[in-house]
Amino acid sequence: MTIPLRRLGSPLARHGLTIAMAVILIALVAAPLVTILIQTLQPASGAAAWMDVLTGRLSQNLFWRPTANTMIIGLGVAAGCVLLGGFLAWLVVMTDIPGRPAVAFMATLPFMIPSFATALAWGSVFRNGRVGGGGGLLEGLGFSVPDWLSWGMVPTIIVLIAHYYALAFTVIAAALATVNGDLVEAAQMTGASRKRILLGIVLPVVAPAIIAGGSLAFAGAVSNFAAPALLGLPVRMQTLSTRLFGMIEIGQTERGYVLAILLITISAVFLGFGNRILNSRRSFATISGKGARPRRFSLGGARLPLAILAWAICILTTILPILLLLAASLAPSSLSLFSGWSLHYWIGHSDPAFARGQPGIFHNPQLISALTTTVMLGAIVAVAANLLGILIAVALTRQKVPVLSNLVSQMSFLPMLLPGIAFAAAYIALYGAPIGPLPALYGTKLLLALALTAAMLPFAVQTGRATVAQISGDIDEAARMTGAGFFRRLGAITLPLAIRGLAAGLLISFVNVIGDLAITILLYTPTSPMLAVLSYSYASDGFHQFANAVTLVILVISMLATGAATLLHGRRRQNFA
Amino acid sequence: MISLNQVFKSFAGTNAVDDVSFSVPEGAFLVLLGPSGCGKSTMLRMLAGLDQPTGGQIRFGDTLVADGQSGFALPPARRNAGLVFQSYALWPHMTVAGNIEWPLKVAKIPPEERRSRITAAMEMLGISQFADRYPGEISGGQQQRVALARMIAPRPRIMLFDEPLSNLDATLRVEMRLELLKVHAASGATSVYVTHDQVEAMTMATHVAVMNRGRIEQFDAPERLLADPSSAFVAGFVGTPPANLIPIADGKWFGTMPDPGLPNVTGHAMVRPETIYLVDKPDPRTLTLTLAEIVPMAGRRLVTGIADGIRITAISDDANRIPPELHFRLPAAPAAIFDREGNRIS
Repeated sequence: MTIPLRRLGSPLARHGLTIAMAVILIALVAAPLVTILIQTLQPASGAAAWMDVLTGRLSQNLFWRPTANTMIIGLGVAAGCVLLGGFLAWLVVMTDIPGRPAVAFMATLPFMIPSFATALAWGSVFRNGRVGGGGGLLEGLGFSVPDWLSWGMVPTIIVLIAHYYALAFTVIAAALATVNGDLVEAAQMTGASRKRILLGIVLPVVAPAIIAGGSLAFAGAVSNFAAPALLGLPVRMQTLSTRLFGMIEIGQTERGYVLAILLITISAVFLGFGNRILNSRRSFATISGKGARPRRFSLGGARLPLAILAWAICILTTILPILLLLAASLAPSSLSLFSGWSLHYWIGHSDPAFARGQPGIFHNPQLISALTTTVMLGAIVAVAANLLGILIAVALTRQKVPVLSNLVSQMSFLPMLLPGIAFAAAYIALYGAPIGPLPALYGTKLLLALALTAAMLPFAVQTGRATVAQISGDIDEAARMTGAGFFRRLGAITLPLAIRGLAAGLLISFVNVIGDLAITILLYTPTSPMLAVLSYSYASDGFHQFANAVTLVILVISMLATGAATLLHGRRRQNFA
Repeated sequence: MISLNQVFKSFAGTNAVDDVSFSVPEGAFLVLLGPSGCGKSTMLRMLAGLDQPTGGQIRFGDTLVADGQSGFALPPARRNAGLVFQSYALWPHMTVAGNIEWPLKVAKIPPEERRSRITAAMEMLGISQFADRYPGEISGGQQQRVALARMIAPRPRIMLFDEPLSNLDATLRVEMRLELLKVHAASGATSVYVTHDQVEAMTMATHVAVMNRGRIEQFDAPERLLADPSSAFVAGFVGTPPANLIPIADGKWFGTMPDPGLPNVTGHAMVRPETIYLVDKPDPRTLTLTLAEIVPMAGRRLVTGIADGIRITAISDDANRIPPELHFRLPAAPAAIFDREGNRIS
């Protein structure tokens, strides 16, 4: 029996999918980056922009001070995340702390809460009246909150640690789980002291994960826009991302592009550094024993205090911010969050005596339009990105083309290294002006959708690869041997197996899109902004109750989707405890 | 010498190790043999000091190392014992030489002495050329050799092995068996080796403890297990091929075929494959079976048939075609009789 596997021998048929994917990825990922580079290398305008930013009279304000702030924030957040995430990972994996599975679950949640939600919650407690708009809970209780605790560097770093420590926790806990067990017992057999085992075995084996967790947190922190914008801008603390936003907003796009390139470089250098260490030859050996009973280090008398501390960290970074936002969205006076509650900010009609005549968010036509825009855009982007993800995964596994396949793989993971706001700037550079017969896309929802799709690709390709692994593996061959046709196999074998992973992938993309501020803040359409942008503009106009209410709407949608994703993904959830 | 006196280990109310007592002399090679979950690994971990017994005493020579009654336990490092893990447990951030050296460093052995011991251990196991590689850069068999070298370098008096060969392929396993015996002989230490593979037990052990559900079914020399199994479990677990256990009821094979050679009991009769003859025609002393498989072995053939859902194996010397319907002639008397609970009756 012969199977006409290569009926169409032409290179196009054999490599068609890979070529198509390469073209799409060039348009979505490579072209904007190349454009932004070219635009800043134009002899006249570009060179001037580089000079302005790096050496000019304004360079201190444009680049050097924001960069110093960015680096301080990045390093501070990385250190904080490693300490906090590492501490929780140690407690959960290596000790007999009560409620380990619950702590392990809680410690992964903060990443699901958009950083602007945490930043707003911080403001509702620690804000002081210095920049107008009334103080927060603490001032209401009669404390005078110093500026350094209300605004700027310290709160930005704290808020970002509360957001990103989940990343460090996940990476470090996974590494600790591999060292706990045989590796530690082998060391115990030698008679090494506890301290010596910790310093000689556990820490060196986990070190790559610690560095990787730190570099992920660093890259996240330097790319973040929401926290420094909400907590830093009111006192004129600029980071690279807020400076970049400011330049584009006031029309100095060349300078903005230069800043975008510099921001990408800083973030990519640290992520690359982390990756290198993770892939070095000293990282983990692969042979596994029989699931050795992990040894639990007995905490003795410290058990209860440490458990309370762990729970406090988890609650402070997950439930408490949400409750604070809820209270702050109901309280007319930001000084007393828990009295005189009113639903006005949610459902009130416009009343000149109340909130300068602003109606509640559900009577604000802008909110309704933002809600539909956000959900629609989230759904469309999730579907588009995951569809592309599957096609790319198929191209990568089925049609191996020298060089081109490698290019496709690299390009699809590139957005992972790109700070959202810099990526958005690159989109403006390419699609902001008409290209030949194509109209300028700046200010359209299409541009926003394209940029968000590209940004979600790394996750989507990951999901796609897992799905395709199901399609092309032994399982499918087993079905093929029975003589079942392609569609029969698709319906009976592939889809039932892949559906959970796919649905979870869709929901994760959806949650990421609706919580995104870094890309949307630059590319939103003024007529129908996204929810996150609406919340940000309420907050920057001083309408904190409305900002909080809108943020809660985003959180509720996210939580519903995350809950669904967890249910679907439940069986595969990693369990450290 | 290792001796155990009524050792228990219970996890959440169930006994993983249940009333185990035995002793082996200095220099013995003891194999703890049994199916997964029989408690053999827990036994080994208690010998290593990684787990503590909940009852009974363990002694190395005259030294009490663990007492379940008083809760006393000598820490692992003070037992002068070394352990090879199933996963090898090589420290991935240290080179091969580094892995062997670390335990010596912890034991505060001076540098020159360390160097000579590392060299000797690596030479003995033929891994000198990998000294500067990391565990992730060498093959599974080489990792196994590193794990052995790391264990012997501190010169333990007791060497413990936890299914060390189960991650290797068949050829490598045979090679490493020899390697292990060489290490054992050279060190003069007492070895305790955990496995579920009875071939490993038969080829390496001076003493075998067959374990089942936390208890020792039989503690004996390997050839005694074959010659004189004390329970149906042992009879069915050891031997290549293992002996046949044929159901009997009231003195009849399968409850239907009377035989004056059988006692009037119900249980199982042990019949060795080499005592069953393959014949052409049925007669009153033959069982009729359906052919299941033929395994050529050392110039002979193991012929297995199925009767009433029971597999019975005979050894055949002739090279003729084997028919699909088999007639096995049974010996005049079975080698052993076990009751319904598997206890040896005769």
